[in-house]
This record gives sequence, structure tokens and C-alpha cells, in this order.
Amino acid sequence: MNFARIYGLILRYNYLLRRNFDRMADAFYWPTIDLFVWGLTGLYVERLAGNTKIIVAILSGVVLWYIVFRNQGEITVNLLEEFWNDNLINLFVSPLTFGEWIVSVLLSGIVKSIIALFFAATVAFLLYQVNIFVQGFYLIPFAFLLILSGWFIGLTIAGFVLRYGTKIQFFAWTLVYIFMPFSAVFYPVSTLPTWAGKIAGLVPMSYVFEGMRQVINTGTFDINKFWISLGLNAVYLIISIVYIKSSFKKALERGLINII
Amino acid sequence: MSILDVKNLTKRFGPPIGGFIAVNNISFSLKEGEILGLLGPNGAGKTTTLQLLLGLTTLTSGTITYFGKDFVTNRSKILENVNFSSAYTRLPKLLSVRENLNFISYLYNIKDRAARINKIAEIFHLKELWNKETRTLSAGQATRLNIAKSFINFPKILMLDEPTASLDPDVAGYIREFLENERKEFQVSIILTSHNMAEVEELCDRVVFINRGKIVADDTPENLAKTIEISHVRLLIRKNDMAKFNSYAKGAQLDWLTQGPYSLLNINEKEIPNILRSLAEIDINYDEISIERPTLEDYFLEKARSKT
Repeated sequence: MNFARIYGLILRYNYLLRRNFDRMADAFYWPTIDLFVWGLTGLYVERLAGNTKIIVAILSGVVLWYIVFRNQGEITVNLLEEFWNDNLINLFVSPLTFGEWIVSVLLSGIVKSIIALFFAATVAFLLYQVNIFVQGFYLIPFAFLLILSGWFIGLTIAGFVLRYGTKIQFFAWTLVYIFMPFSAVFYPVSTLPTWAGKIAGLVPMSYVFEGMRQVINTGTFDINKFWISLGLNAVYLIISIVYIKSSFKKALERGLINII
Repeated sequence: MSILDVKNLTKRFGPPIGGFIAVNNISFSLKEGEILGLLGPNGAGKTTTLQLLLGLTTLTSGTITYFGKDFVTNRSKILENVNFSSAYTRLPKLLSVRENLNFISYLYNIKDRAARINKIAEIFHLKELWNKETRTLSAGQATRLNIAKSFINFPKILMLDEPTASLDPDVAGYIREFLENERKEFQVSIILTSHNMAEVEELCDRVVFINRGKIVADDTPENLAKTIEISHVRLLIRKNDMAKFNSYAKGAQLDWLTQGPYSLLNINEKEIPNILRSLAEIDINYDEISIERPTLEDYFLEKARSKT
């Protein structure tokens, strides 16, 4: 691993963020709109139920979900950017290795998700006086687990794109949402029908959002949820790394110039 | 001294049965400070060969050795000393010229980055475009930026795919002169593909001609041109002798065509004196004559048209 090369790529994606309004919208516009709409929904439900913790749980769900979304998006959209710019060739005629490219997008994702987390938390506080940091240090393991989840989803989608090209680029924005209902972002897993609850048991994000609600309601966190989520994330991450490496090998067999 | 050796290189796309062999068992080498032209008609296998040499695709069999080291197992180390530019690729379009050169300089781990980028910008007259987004550059400016990028790491070997396509003749001339100087001063070796045969003749010490994935010739441009025996004779026949000339050319079964007021004969060099003597004997007069000896372009056309 060469850190100068990794830094060079992080710099390239940072330059892009500053100059690309689509990326700006992903980073700041959509989180603001989501928080605005979900905050109002939370207020309404809170009035109906008479439970003041509902809005905190809903807005915390929105903010934490963005960690998954940003980390998977950083991998897939950055790969697509290289396709759209015909830049894969410029990158891979240099000494850059595929492993370094992956590390650079993962690190870039961490930085941007931390920025997104603080930005969204500030918006939630300004709009609704909701402090998601009420979860205290529990936010650190939650964020860590959700970053891992964003990575395995992003690497898997990037593997699809490398194999099948830009004709399936819509996965970059849509596939992550398949996990959302089973992640129980806004409701407890017990709300799900039995079959969906079983699937949720295999989704590492569901343990984080269950844990988040537990912390908000009781101030405690069942450590078993952390270990289960970590174990599932580790398994999926290993599978996704194997998959993307094999997809890159396939792309090289076809020739990087020939994949679009 | 050879710094690149390609031995029995083969690339097959698709399955072993029913697949397509783009590069078929080719071998060649590149010496230090040598400029090698890689020529061939469209679909001949030039781009695939370049892809293989740059690691953009995997080889099916054979070996590529740079600086005495196997490319497959030492890819990253080797590519620190190699670079590539193509008229058909662009750097990220939303980044400025400066940002593009800056992030690329990190990929090659350049030591004194700022100084190198400034030097490159000066050489290729990019300073006035410094903060412009790449998407706003003209085709010629983008090509200049691509070539500048390819020199950022002081490459020992440079692969250039149509380096001067879309450049104005004066800029193209400047780039050719720059390449020639880099070769003389720093012994940079270059592999060049181009459809501009005059450029290849001017720059290249040697030409490898590929057709249908195989090397069909490996020689100097002059020697390749010499293998063509047909010369082009351009005659300005007097108007009142035209009918007589046409009838003579038809009767003698000459390969000829009319281009404006000129008649263009494609004939074996050895036949020229005989034909001129015949024209004098049958009293066909002409006011101008020019004889063009075969060039690399003639060689290219003959090989590209041949079925084998």
C-alpha cells in the first residue's frame, strides 16, 4: 500500500465534491430535506402517541441511515465517476493498485460520513431541537457498524458495475434501499411480519437501529447486538471483497478500455 | 540495450473455443532511447497490444519484461517508470488542469510535486489554462494536457496512442520536436501508434506492423517503404494529347487515374523510363512531370488491403 497514491485519490474525490452539484446535493441537500420531512412526521406521531422520544428515534434513524448511504455511495458513485470520465485508464496505467483504489474510497467514505453525521445532527438540532448526541459514546460503535455495512453493500454494487457496466448503474442509488425495510430504521423489528423479521435477523444494520432505540428509551445497550452485527458485517464484508476482486479480474480479462 | 521484451504474447477474448484472438503470438523488443511505431489497420490488434503492455488487460500467454523484470509480477514498480497518453482519453472533466496534474502527481509519487507540475505546465503552455475545468478545453488543449500528464513522472518508456490527433499543425510539430528532444536528452523510449504516416516516418526508428493480431513486418520506415515497387508518376498532359494518352494507357493496361488536369500513373519504378520513351515515340507531350517514390503510407495501404 502506498499512502501517497491513496491520498492522491482522496484528493481527486475531494476536488470533485467541491465542483459537482450532484455530489453537493447528496451530501447536504437531501439530508436536510429528509430531516425536515421526517421531523414533521415525527412531531405528528409524537402528538398522537404522547411519547416525546419518538421524534428523537426517528431523526436519529435518518441521521444514522445516512452513514450507510454515504459509505456505499462513496464506493459506487466514485467508481461510476471513473466510468463517466473514461478515467479508469488514467488510474490503472499508473502504479495505483486496485487495493489502493478500494482503500481510498473507503477512507473517503469515512471522512464524508463524519461530515454528514455532524451536518445532519446540526440540522436536526436547529430544526427540532433534537440532540442525537444524547446517545453519547454509543454513537461510536453504531457509526462503526454502519460504516462496515455501507462498505459491504458498496463493494458488492461496485462489483456488479465492474462486471456488467454502466447499464446497471441505477443500483448505485437504489440497491441500498432494499436493506432499509429489514434494517428497521424507523420501527422495531417486532413490527415486521414473521418472514421479514427472519430476514432482519440476517441484516447487521437491524441490530444497530434496535440498539439505538434501546439507548434512547432506556439509556442501556445490549452488547450482544454489537457482536452479532459485527459478526454479520465481517462475513458480508469478506464476501464482498472476494466478489469485487473477482469482478475486477473479469474486467481486466475483457480489458478496462472495453468496459463501459 | 533492450528495456522492453515482448515474447510470444497472445490475447484471446472469450472462451478457448469460439473466442477471438486479438493478439497472436507476437514478439518484439524496445531499445533504450528508441522510438517504435506500432502500425496496422483498424482492428489489427494495436490497441490490445498497448492495453497488454500497460496492464489494462490480462494476457492469455507469453511474457512482457520491462527493465529485466516480469511485468505481471512487478506491475506497480514498473509503471512508476512508464506512462501513457491517448488522444481518445480525457482526464476528469470537472477538475481543473491544475487539480488533474496535482492528483496524478501523487499517483506517481513525484518528490518535488509543485516544481514538476509547474515545469510541465510551462513546457506544454498550460499556465493560461491553469484553473479552467478540463471539460471546457478544446480537443487540442485536452490532448496537450494528456501529453503533459504522461511526462509527469519522467518516464523511461512512454506509450502514445495517436499523440498529435486533433492538434493544429504547429502544435503537432512542437510536440514532435519535444518528443525528439526528450529522446535525445533523457533516452526516453517511445511506442507510438499513429495514422499519420509522415509523422511515423519522421519520428520512428523502427516500425512494427501488425495485421490480424500478428506481426507482419518489423523494420525501419525506409526499409518498409523500399519493399513497395510502385511509384506514383504525375503528368500534366497537354490538352490536345489527352485522348491519345487515354487510349495508350488503356492499351498498355496501365494503372492510372485522372486528378483534375493531372494524370496519375501507379507504376513499377523500373518501368518509368520505358513508359516515358513510349510517350515520346507516339508524340504525347506533357508540360510537367513529378515522380513520387513509395512511402510508408504506400506500404501501409498495401498491407492493410492484403488479405493475408
